[in-house]
Order: sequence, then structure tokens, then C-alpha cells
Amino acid sequence: MLIFTLRRLNLFLFTMLILSILSFSLSFLFPGEQIINISGQINATPEGIELVALEYGKHESLITQYWIYLNQLFEGNWGVSMTSQLPIYGEILNHLPATIELTMTALFIAMVTGIPIGFIAAINHRKKADDFILSFAMIGYSIPIFWLGLLTILIFSIQLGWLPSAGQISLLYEIKQVTGIQFIDILLSDSPYKWQAFQNASSHIILPSCVVALAPATIFIRLARTSMLNVLDTHYIKAAMAKGLTFQQIIYRHAIRNALVNVIRDVGLQFANLVTLAMVTEVIFSWPGIGRWLIESIYQRDYTAIQGGLLALSCFIFLVHILTDFIYATLNPLARETHRGPQ
Amino acid sequence: MNILDIRNLSIKLLTSTTPILAVDRVSLAMKEGEVRGLVGESGSGKSLLAQAIVGVLDDKWQVDADRFHWRGIDLMRLSVDERKKVISKDVAMIFQEPMACLDPTTTIGAQLEEAVDDEQLTGYFWQRKQQRKLAAANLLHKVGIKHHEVCTKSYPHQLTEALCQRVMIAMALAKRPILLIADEPTAAMESTNQNQIFRLLASLNQLKNMSILLISHDLENVTHWTNTITVMYSGQFVEAGTTQHIFNKPYHPYTRALVDSSPKANMQIPMKSRLMTLPGSIPILQHLPIGCRLGPRCPKAQKACVQAPKVKNYHGHQVSCHYSLKGSY
Repeated sequence: MLIFTLRRLNLFLFTMLILSILSFSLSFLFPGEQIINISGQINATPEGIELVALEYGKHESLITQYWIYLNQLFEGNWGVSMTSQLPIYGEILNHLPATIELTMTALFIAMVTGIPIGFIAAINHRKKADDFILSFAMIGYSIPIFWLGLLTILIFSIQLGWLPSAGQISLLYEIKQVTGIQFIDILLSDSPYKWQAFQNASSHIILPSCVVALAPATIFIRLARTSMLNVLDTHYIKAAMAKGLTFQQIIYRHAIRNALVNVIRDVGLQFANLVTLAMVTEVIFSWPGIGRWLIESIYQRDYTAIQGGLLALSCFIFLVHILTDFIYATLNPLARETHRGPQ
Repeated sequence: MNILDIRNLSIKLLTSTTPILAVDRVSLAMKEGEVRGLVGESGSGKSLLAQAIVGVLDDKWQVDADRFHWRGIDLMRLSVDERKKVISKDVAMIFQEPMACLDPTTTIGAQLEEAVDDEQLTGYFWQRKQQRKLAAANLLHKVGIKHHEVCTKSYPHQLTEALCQRVMIAMALAKRPILLIADEPTAAMESTNQNQIFRLLASLNQLKNMSILLISHDLENVTHWTNTITVMYSGQFVEAGTTQHIFNKPYHPYTRALVDSSPKANMQIPMKSRLMTLPGSIPILQHLPIGCRLGPRCPKAQKACVQAPKVKNYHGHQVSCHYSLKGSY
């Protein structure tokens, strides 16, 4: 397990290195002055620019410049936004938690609904239920998310009036920001309306997270179905049957665990997809997350913000990826160690 | 008395067009305490037959039989679930590739413990876990694994193939079966390990009077460990009799060819000469010949062979051939 952890850390370090190189090179590739792109000082006087150039080591070699850039990143100096002149680092800290909240809820919903439905489809292979679930998955996967988002707003917020259509929480509630994750903040706050606020925040998250979750859930349905079908076809399931276990025992004790192992490995891959969907959804539901902020920055050609936002988002995606790898390793003893002996 | 009595068992593979008759009217009888070998080439349907007996074939396969009795109970009259209950109480099966037959994500101990029958446990439910553990350790001791603590904690991939097969046998023993079906238990194993497994099976047969149906493609190896042998070819019954008879005086041309094809150490053959084999290979399921399926390869085949022969019985030595070699001895 130690070697496994070290390997993952190694992978993390190198990926981060490449990501930072990419982000650094973006400041050269974007149109305009590199030093303005990297710092965001768009209104500075020529003297001011000269000062910034000195700070970023503009007159040194490229490698030194990159090194200085890395140091700046670690010090929390990610430049300022070209449009609002606010520090990017602070902006990201403000917006990223909302996205984490949304994506994690969506991932949770997608896994909790998608995987069991996929298993049910596999168990009822070549029956009505299987066909129905498969066609549902196909439809769910092919619905464009922006359309689905508008449709759910139309039905659940406007016609039925069940759920709010925009924002993270009603403006009535004043929640002091501690961790940034709103649900935790609400629970930490000592407001007398804590539980009402909690309820309100929950009703706000239902629609957007369900919209984000639909497409990944359909993918999980298909992944879980194929993986379960493969497992049910293996020798050890046949051996368990010969052992005299009932079908339920076989499913609960052997099949689910082995099928999950294969699904979990792909969850990390699907997460990047899910974050992209979340960015679109954030715009539709005015969710104050990093996706909406990033899309707005792209519209306004805020190059500094694009660089910082990309770095932060990809970092987050990669962390989730590594997390799923660890879950995979705890479920699967084969992944934990190097192979020895005959296979 | 026969514990298992199967007469004319057929297994059909249901395809989208016409069903394929994979096993064609095979008969098999097992006595108590008997070790019977079931021999045939790969693809001769012997594994299918075994899986049909245990009832682990999926619904692509359809099983029919004129008679299918287990210790006097007519299994064909019972529903699928009842049949499985009766069979899984008394019959255990071990498979080839033991490592693939153990759940890779569960420890050996947990898998052994779940094989232990509830009926064997006494006491209250809080005592049962401990009893199960003890039972699992005892089972491992029975199959000759001394360090049960190490074994129960490990995962299948951490053990060798032979150890895994021992664990499989231990699991099979958990139900105290009357019949153990061993489907090529030593395929892909080294010969020392092979002998260990066979010796273990033989001792179980002698000490516990457990009947064993030993499935193998290696006629010569099987003769050391069995009392009687049934030979199959391409899903059809070929010959059955005592090991002595089958090996020394086979009545069927196929069995004759099988016996002749195994080279012996004291054989005198000229250099670079061909070893004795039948021409051709076993037919695939989609292109089965009519009548006796050996027909196209058989050295004795004549016109009558397009009709499947009836089984003839010579003092317990059954053979299914129009032109049996009985007269030539």
C-alpha cells in the first residue's frame, strides 16, 4: 500500500508540473503582452509594468521566469483579474467551494442511482427491465444539458413552483463564510434560522445537481451493467453457485463487490466530464461557482483569470481522480501490490 | 446401489436458429464409494455433463433426460430450485483453474466460512461466527494445509495454483458431500502438485467413502486413480466399464485409439515414424456429423454408422458401436 501511495503521489507531482508549465506557456500564447497576461495589470503605467516585469523576472532566462512563476503560485500571488482587478487567488477561493459542492453532490447522486440501476439491468439481462433501463440510459445520455436545464426550470420552478431556479441560497439568510462549502458553513453558524437555511440551501442544490448528474448517471448505468455481466459470467460465480449459495447471497457477497471494483476505476475518468457539464449548468442556474466565473472570464477575454481558473479546476479534477484510485485500491486487493507468482 | 443414475441425458444449446445438441443421450451411473473417470477430448461435453448434474448451467442450455435419479429421488420431477437444493446438499464440484474459481476480492477465510452449512453449527447466533472460523480451520487441516492462519487471511492471488485447488477441495468438503465432481482438477499444474491433489482425493475416497467423478482428458493418468471409466466423444457416449477392461480390452475403436495414442516408455518405434493417432480432429458444434459422431474419423466405419448405434451391455461393460472390437480379443 505504501508503494501504491508513493506512486500516486509521484504521478500527482508530475502532472502538476506539466499543468503549471501549460498554464505558464498560456501567458505567452494568449494575444497581448505576456507580462500583462500573467499579472493582469491592464491599467498600469509603463513604470508600473516595469516593476511587475522585475517582479516576474522578465529579463532573466525562461527557466528562471518559470521558477519565479511557480514561487508566485505557491505564495498565493496568481495575478489580478483583468476586468475586475481583484486578486485571482481570492476569486478562486470564493468560487471553487460552490463548484466542489455542486459536483460532489452530482457525483454522489449519479453513483447512488446509476450503479444500482445498472446492476439491476445486468441481473435482468435480456428481459424487459434490461431493455427499458438501456433505452432510458440512451435517452438520458443524448439529451443536451443546456436544454434539460431550461426544461427542468420551466417545469419544476415555474409551472409547479416546487424548487428555486437560481442561486445557491436565498438572500434572506446571512451565512458567515468559514470553509466556503456552504452546507458546512450553515451547520457551523450560530444563526437561529440555521435549519431553515439548511433546508433552503438543500432545495437550491437539488435541481442543478440532478441536471449535472443525469448524463454521468447514464454512463454509470452502462458501466455497471457491463461490469456486472462480466462478473456474473466468471468462474467464481459458477463455483459459488455450485457451493449452494442462493442467488441473493452470490450477488451481495461476491458479485457487487467485484463489479464495483471495475466501475470505481472509471468514475475518476468520468469526473472530468462531469465538471464540464457542471460549468454549463452553473451558468443556467446562476450558481456562483468557478465554472460560471471561468465562462464569464472567457467571454471578457480575461486571460489571467482563464489561466488561474484552468489550473485550479484541473488540480481539483486530478485530486478527485487520485481519490477514486485509492477507493479502487481498498476495494481491490490485486491493485494494492505488485504481482508475485503465477497469474 | 447407484447413488447417481442418469439415462440418456441430452444437453441442447439454444441458439437464435436451431438448437444444437451438444450432449447426445449420455448415460452415467455412480455407485457409492466409487471413483469413476469421465474421459474425453476437450470439447467432448464432459464438463457440460458435470455442470448439468450440479445444475450451474445458465438458461442458454436446456437439459433433458429419460432418467435422472439421485439416491432414489427422481430429479426430473422436481422444480429447478428444489433440484438445486437436493443436489447442492450432497454433491460438490471442483473446477479446473482453481484460482479463477475463487472470488479475487474476498479472503480465503471468508469464502470458506460461507461454505460451512448452518445445519452443522450449534449454539446461539453470537457463537456461530467463532464456530464457522473453527470449521474453516478444520477444513484446511483436512486438505493438508497446516498453517491455516496465514491461508485464511490471504487473497486467492497470493496462493499458488495447487494451494487454491486444496482450498477448493476444502470448500467442497464443507458440506460433507456424498459425491465430489472434479472437473480436470489438475489442469495446468505441475506433476508433483498433480499427484498431491490426486492422492488427497484418493484418501478422501477411502476414509470418508466419498464417491468421486473424475473428469479428465488424460486416459492414462486417470487409470491410476479410478475404479471405473466412462468415455465420451463429441457429446456422445462411447464406452463404460471397469478401468481394467477399458484400458486393456477396449471394445470401442475410439477407446482403442485413445489407449494406443498414449506413448509408453518401452515402446519400440522406428525413428521419425508417426505416432498412432486418429485422422482429423473433433468436430465443432456447428458441424456435427449425423449418426455416430466418430464416423468420419473412425477406422472401422461402415454404412451403418450413419445411424447412431444402440448401447450394448456385455457384463457391465457398455459400448456404443455397431462394429465393436469384442470379437478381436
